[in-house]
Amino acid sequence: MLPAKRTDPALDQALESVLDRLTGGSLDRADNPDGWITAARRLPARTGEYAPFNDALDPRLVSVLRERGVERLYTHQAAAIDHALAGRNVVITTPTASGKTLCYNAPVLSTILRDPSARALYLFPTKALAQDQLAELHGLADVLSRQNDLELGVFTYDGDTPQDARRAIRGRAHVVLSNPDMIHAGILPHHPRWAKLFENLRYVVIDELHAYRGVFGSHLTNVLRRLHRICRHYGSDPRFICSSATIANPRELAESLVEQKFELVDKSGAPSGEKVFLFVNPPVVNQQLGIRRSYLSEARRVASEFLKRQLQVIVFAQSRLATEILTTYLKDDFGGPPGTPDLIRGYRGGYLPQRRREIERGLREGTVRAVVSTSALELGIDVGALDVCVMAGYPGTIAATWQRAGRAGRRSSRSAAVLVGSSAPIDQFVVRHPSYFFEASPEHALINPDNLHILVSHVKCAAFELPFTTTEEYGDLNVQDVLGVLAEGGFVHLAQGSSDDQGQWQWTNESYPADAVSLRSISSDNFVIVDVTRGADVIGETSFNSGPPTLHEKAIYMVEAALYQVEKLDFEGRKAYVRRIDCDYYTDAITYTKVTLMDTFGGGRPEGTVAAHGEVHVSSRVVGFKKIKFYTNENVGSGELDLPEQEMHTTAYWLELPAAVMGALPCASDDRRDGVVGLSFAMRQVAQLLLMCDRQDIGISIGSGDQDEDAMPNRHGQPAAIGDEPRIFIYDNYPSGIGFSEPLYRMHDELMARTRALISSCECEHGCPTCVGPIGNTGPLAKSVALRILDLLGSGHALATAGVGTIESPLDQPF
Amino acid sequence: MNRLTERLRGVIEPAAPRARPVAHDHSEILGGEQHIADGHAFLIVDRRYPGGHRHGRVSVLDSLPPDSGVWPRMELLAGRQIPTASDDDRPRRLMFFDLETTGLAGGAGTYAFLVGCGWFEGAAFRVRQFLLSSFGAERGILKALTALAQEAAAVVTFNGKSFDVPLIDTRYALNRMTSPFGDLPHLDMLHVARRFWRQADTDDEPRDEDGTRSRGCRLADLEQTVCGHEREGDVPGFEIPARYFHYVRSGDVSGLEAVLEHNRLDLLSLALLTARASQMLEDGPGEASHAREALGLGTVYERAGCLAEARAAYAHAAAVPGLPGAPASGCLARSDDATQAEALRAYALLARRERRFQDAALAWQCLIEIRRCPPQLAREAAEALAVHHEHRVRDLDVARRFALQSLQYRSTPGRTQAVQHRLSRLERKLGKPAAYTAGLF
Repeated sequence: MLPAKRTDPALDQALESVLDRLTGGSLDRADNPDGWITAARRLPARTGEYAPFNDALDPRLVSVLRERGVERLYTHQAAAIDHALAGRNVVITTPTASGKTLCYNAPVLSTILRDPSARALYLFPTKALAQDQLAELHGLADVLSRQNDLELGVFTYDGDTPQDARRAIRGRAHVVLSNPDMIHAGILPHHPRWAKLFENLRYVVIDELHAYRGVFGSHLTNVLRRLHRICRHYGSDPRFICSSATIANPRELAESLVEQKFELVDKSGAPSGEKVFLFVNPPVVNQQLGIRRSYLSEARRVASEFLKRQLQVIVFAQSRLATEILTTYLKDDFGGPPGTPDLIRGYRGGYLPQRRREIERGLREGTVRAVVSTSALELGIDVGALDVCVMAGYPGTIAATWQRAGRAGRRSSRSAAVLVGSSAPIDQFVVRHPSYFFEASPEHALINPDNLHILVSHVKCAAFELPFTTTEEYGDLNVQDVLGVLAEGGFVHLAQGSSDDQGQWQWTNESYPADAVSLRSISSDNFVIVDVTRGADVIGETSFNSGPPTLHEKAIYMVEAALYQVEKLDFEGRKAYVRRIDCDYYTDAITYTKVTLMDTFGGGRPEGTVAAHGEVHVSSRVVGFKKIKFYTNENVGSGELDLPEQEMHTTAYWLELPAAVMGALPCASDDRRDGVVGLSFAMRQVAQLLLMCDRQDIGISIGSGDQDEDAMPNRHGQPAAIGDEPRIFIYDNYPSGIGFSEPLYRMHDELMARTRALISSCECEHGCPTCVGPIGNTGPLAKSVALRILDLLGSGHALATAGVGTIESPLDQPF
Repeated sequence: MNRLTERLRGVIEPAAPRARPVAHDHSEILGGEQHIADGHAFLIVDRRYPGGHRHGRVSVLDSLPPDSGVWPRMELLAGRQIPTASDDDRPRRLMFFDLETTGLAGGAGTYAFLVGCGWFEGAAFRVRQFLLSSFGAERGILKALTALAQEAAAVVTFNGKSFDVPLIDTRYALNRMTSPFGDLPHLDMLHVARRFWRQADTDDEPRDEDGTRSRGCRLADLEQTVCGHEREGDVPGFEIPARYFHYVRSGDVSGLEAVLEHNRLDLLSLALLTARASQMLEDGPGEASHAREALGLGTVYERAGCLAEARAAYAHAAAVPGLPGAPASGCLARSDDATQAEALRAYALLARRERRFQDAALAWQCLIEIRRCPPQLAREAAEALAVHHEHRVRDLDVARRFALQSLQYRSTPGRTQAVQHRLSRLERKLGKPAAYTAGLF
């Protein structure tokens, strides 16, 4: 690949001195769980390993690559190209900036040069990534076209493609860059128009494979099943080239997404510079309450150290809110006088595309010194070579942490990554047990393509695209059963074949079924934010789900540290009208969630256990908000809100707390409630670790045993009172569930044991954010009552399974 | 019943009631003939409307094309040449074409379950319909359609450019067959109808997606307003797919008769409207039945480069005595204010294009004097007259008066600025202080 840029000694020295300052001059030191720096690791520089160009590559391509300064390949590129040209599916996992795009561009372009009728389809998880790749591919394709008197067409085809350009693209594109959503709703249902592509489809490239976990991945498998059907119809059988960030099971993920065998290339031949990785734990400021200094202030401090020395920094924050707060802090510290170009920028989903492109360009050109981003910049958007990555809060998974750390140090120069732990239990666990992070394997990506809701939606789409035959298979479940029930519902009709051919299931519905399915499982519905300070400018948008908690009336909405107050939320019209204001606080919404049990799949009392899983109905409502002062994080006021409920059906694991156990607690009802709330807080953290899922993938709620009772929430959004037999629900935060509940049910014993360990080994006295939640949220007895509940459950469970008898009455209990 | 089926029933909400199978002889009820292609059955229904058949005020005989099969000036409507019998030895005819489909969305799962074709034959109008009685018969129907289309000089549809033809092209592609519509000249009468028979513009009316207004331009509306035919018991469009699905599931054909009749009437109306428009182009504006038709004629002539005829048509529609180019006869069309204003504007713009500035000014002057003139047209007229008087007549006072008048109407900031610029230039030339007008607005 391109020769590495020479290390700039001045920058290297600056980095060295900041690291010295942060670590007190001892970079090579043992882990210290109680220190400010809990771990410092040097990840040594790697030298490149090279291989000659594959013989099978078309010489015309090789010569163009040579002209562009590519004299030889890295070993992983050569291996991947070998597999692809030999007709084997291949998945590549190598670090950022290791030249993985050539792994797929080379075999694809070489194949097209040899056979100009050949076609390829590239899938990226976002439109922005496709645009980013287009630029690079276009460059190569242009030169090849000119030199070989060819018209090598390379186009993006997505929701932004103008209608009048679409026909031309269908006819002329050799390589189509798109996203799964467009394949699903725009290309597969119209496959006859794309006959040329499908007849000649040789390669399908799936970039950022690791992005397809959970719901999105389950949908993608089904989209690919449909793609396979269409390809079979047109007589093609494309090979797949996938690239992924480091996850534990790339080959397994590729094989379950594509449902074919894959070769794995995971040994990078690219050189990389030394990287220093630091873990920072904000110091405890109140031993009794277990309160640590704000991790945002700590992240700001760390980022400032690097910024002062002219190093270019990317800061990752965990939420849009945290992103805006950190942007504000850094702008206060480093922003130039008004009117000068912004050195510090924020970046997140919801900014308009033009603003995002401008920030990306600023980063590449160096005019932007620091960017504070949500996960939006985690994927491969080209922002150039940054020096330092500061993570404010643990990104939630090992894979995402490495991915973010990789945004610094694309050059072969030295770089640094700093993880600042928040007080969340999972963060504390990671920063205090560094070997968990540095030595454990990253997460497994889980998908569940046979989730019935997802499966049925796609069987409908597939039936619309091509009739199913009576012997056809689709996925692991019996699709003929699915078609049978769809026929009962009038969606398809079994047309008996004539003597020599089979019967076919014909689509007999007027709808266009792809329109009813969103692959992201967030409805395509959104809210737009309209600034009425001067006229009516649209300044952003946000998804339907995050609308109510961030855009309720009186909410403070932030765009790159500019503050706006919401004056009116037009829920029906999906618009929030905001006005610029000057204030020193932000708002945080209080959401009340209620879960109603619908159907039990396994477990429950009759089988003698307190855990179960099944189907539930979740409704959530934003009931109020808190005003929180910048910097001090004081609560300076609150308000009540009346917003419509949002509802979904999903699956859940739950823990039942029998009346006998509750009754046996030697304390007042308020304290009992605190104990249950505290227990649920701890269980959620452990569940997240066990399931290796993102924070937002699961939700938690306490239900009263009594179904009719609708307990009013208190000011923290928790029930003011709980019933005699409360349930703690941990639900899949997606309609119809994404397959976490059943595994969690199977891991029930481990969940209980680890929760117990988390609470009992915590150093605090009465509960803290690391175990049962901060003391302001729960009462002083939360910690001890939660432990008591676990004890009682353990003994009750033992009694029940041993057949000795259960706790009948609290009076029998010797407290 | 297995557990999967049970769970599926919880997930899938039925979209249609269950249907009981019924045994029927299709051909008898629908009056057609069963055909078998590659082992799959489809139905062909033929109808003949004799010359004396009346469709409202119009008869088939009134609407017959000349012997060549194509009206001579029809290509002004189609925008391209239409080969006729004289061009090669085979007789060619116009094929009127209309589909009934299982949905409006398009895509591979939308079927054309009824393919309707119509053509003039001798002194009669013939309709041939193909009904997809089994899904496997699609290839057979497409083959038969190809044979018909190959005898056609052009295809005529109503909204077929965006719906019927792309949809049937998709069916051909899906069956890996070549569509015969690829290079067949295509006249989409929806566009013509918008020109001739659109109701007058009013401001509160919603616009269509493409920005044009087409109130009263649905085929059934035109059948009523242009042919004077009132349909009875017509099946509403949205019911059509459901009727077909019911037939597919039960074999009960009884709901389809009305669908076939709907399709036949659409074809007949389409043919008669095409005849009316083509004949008008030959006969000129004198034959137009109202001002809007005359105005439409003018735009068709102008686009085709027949400027003298266009001028006459506009003058006719404007119904202002003394406009140069108007037909000498006194039988000017009755006109409403809005149509008259539009016609005058079209006349003025054409006159300017032909550099007949005096005529243009006369038309603008007439326009501005209409009592209920639409304000945006009045503004345009005032601006044009200001220009005319400043640069050609060189009467600066009058020019200034018109410029001031044009500012009375709401306009875009850019235009307003241009007028203010003109005003201050006029004031300068007239030797008055510019601040005078600036203070006024």
